[in-house]
Amino acid sequence: MANEVQPMEKGSPSPPVSGGATIKTPEPPAKEDVLLRMNKELGRALKKNEAQRKWVMVIDLRRCIGCHACTVACIAVNKLPPGIVYRPVTIQEKGKYPNVTMNFLPRPCMQCENPPCTQACPVHATYTNAEGIVVMDYDQCIGCRACIAACPYGARTYDFGGTYTEGTTNEETVVLGESRADDYERNINIEYGRKRVRTNKHSSPIGNVRKCHFCLDRIHNGVLPACTTTCIGRATYFGDADDSTSLVSELLAKPNVGQLKAEFGTKPRVYYIL
Amino acid sequence: MDKKILYLVGILGFAIGCWGLADFLSAGDAHTNYGSFVVWGLWVSLYFLFGGIATGCFIWASLDLIFHVPSFSGTGRPALLAALVTLVAGLAAIALDLGHMDRFWKTIFQANMSSGVAMDVWGYTVFGLVTVAALIVSATEPKNPTLQAIMWIGLIVSVVVSGLPGKLMGNNAARLFWHSSLMPLQYLLQSLMAGGAMLLVLRGIFLRDLPGEYQPGLLGKITSLLVLINLFASYVFLTQSLSGNMPEIAQPAQQIVFGHFSTSFWGLQIVLGSIVPLFILFIVRGSAGSFLLGLAGLLILLGNAVARYLVLVAGQQVDPLEGLSSSFSGKGLTLTYSPSMTEWAVACGLLGLVILGLRAGFDRFLPLAHSPKE
Repeated sequence: MANEVQPMEKGSPSPPVSGGATIKTPEPPAKEDVLLRMNKELGRALKKNEAQRKWVMVIDLRRCIGCHACTVACIAVNKLPPGIVYRPVTIQEKGKYPNVTMNFLPRPCMQCENPPCTQACPVHATYTNAEGIVVMDYDQCIGCRACIAACPYGARTYDFGGTYTEGTTNEETVVLGESRADDYERNINIEYGRKRVRTNKHSSPIGNVRKCHFCLDRIHNGVLPACTTTCIGRATYFGDADDSTSLVSELLAKPNVGQLKAEFGTKPRVYYIL
Repeated sequence: MDKKILYLVGILGFAIGCWGLADFLSAGDAHTNYGSFVVWGLWVSLYFLFGGIATGCFIWASLDLIFHVPSFSGTGRPALLAALVTLVAGLAAIALDLGHMDRFWKTIFQANMSSGVAMDVWGYTVFGLVTVAALIVSATEPKNPTLQAIMWIGLIVSVVVSGLPGKLMGNNAARLFWHSSLMPLQYLLQSLMAGGAMLLVLRGIFLRDLPGEYQPGLLGKITSLLVLINLFASYVFLTQSLSGNMPEIAQPAQQIVFGHFSTSFWGLQIVLGSIVPLFILFIVRGSAGSFLLGLAGLLILLGNAVARYLVLVAGQQVDPLEGLSSSFSGKGLTLTYSPSMTEWAVACGLLGLVILGLRAGFDRFLPLAHSPKE
């Protein structure tokens, strides 16, 4: 279970009671943060052969509060330009006053085991890697966007080459002009283990289709995906489903776990706890 | 129509297209309105249209160059030239639509043949080569066995390739509106109709002095029949989509028939693109060389362009997940789409290219002295 109680090794003394005697009571067992547990499990999984890992993401919809921290973290970590979003959170308002509720659905790439997008790509620019993650080869992608049309989850977006500071003033007296303000946006970004700068409007990944890759570079360095570490409600879990002792394996065994559009037969590796 | 007027219109269109192209090359995709929900817009629909006209023209050319139907005598080579010119325009449209057109060659040499796009590229490449071969061979010896063999191969390729864009869309299970086995058949029917309409345009506007026993009356009758069949196919497709009332399928059809596309659908596709040309073809009948024949052909092509555009765009204006399109904002993250000025300008350029290609082709490279009857 996600928040399984871990026994503590030492007890702490309780305040003295009348008569000077002290009664030692065991300290309430502390919960190990799921992030720490998942991090340990990540390290364990990385020692395995690539093909033996089965990365999955489990999202507990009951815990998601719709703060969009995961969306923002993803944009910051991957330095995503305008129009590119790997992990939006949809909001649905349900019910009628006074019985109103909001449903939030974070939607990363489903990393389908049977992905329609890879079949639609005319040049093998998107494919499932050895670890089961659907990746993009930016230098191979021709920008035809057939994979976007083929994705039933809308999990792919097209890089038009814009910057957030585009159109802002160039006056040097006003904090930073556009010519300097977009330095950060055009600076080196690392995805799929390769450094890229956005200086040319026609150089990849501009003109390419982009998608969530479970923060592949981070997990290869033993760091959990950005959306997982920034989730303030601990609603996102990540790990190796091939490890029977992992948190995600425990969660997947629950009866209230579902997949998005499972009827499409895409076999997503992202699961939702309902 | 006066050659000078055609050249003038062609040059004007081409000049507008050059501005659009320059703007596109300098600004990149920033000045286009397709996005991450509506990923294929005006240029892709033009690719489908021109590709459809090209394969349709080849099929019609076979009536002259394979089956030697007297009523179509002399139409074979002009139809082949029209196939080549429109194919070039179609391929230019789709090349511009790519984020990295410099990598276009990868679709040939590093193709994933399970992809509908790769199938299209290969199909049109083979089709283009066969068309060029047929044009060359027909110029030297109009009635030799080599030409017959090439035309037979081309005919089969044309029929298959006509349906490939429909297959590309029909295979896509993520877009339920397109996901119909009718799509490839519809595209084949549309190609046949567009090919007939193009021949009417050639006859009525470009080649009013075409020699031979060519009887435009029969062409008009067959094209009229194809317009009626296509109307029926559209009716079946749209009513089938509407009757299930499943939002992902019914919503695009509702947008086309009753929603914000209804003016284009009823006004351009049905009335101007089908009923008016049917009426013209009915009253003009066999008066050869009449400009009205060309006008009817143009209107049919206009209706077909609108039909292809509407099905393509409306099918993408559905949220893949409830609330996804409103969950994040940014360029291209919207379900609405209307072509940008750059897209329209490039479209004008492609039309200009077709007009210039046909006019110059008939004047310079395809002297009608080689028509089979002479």
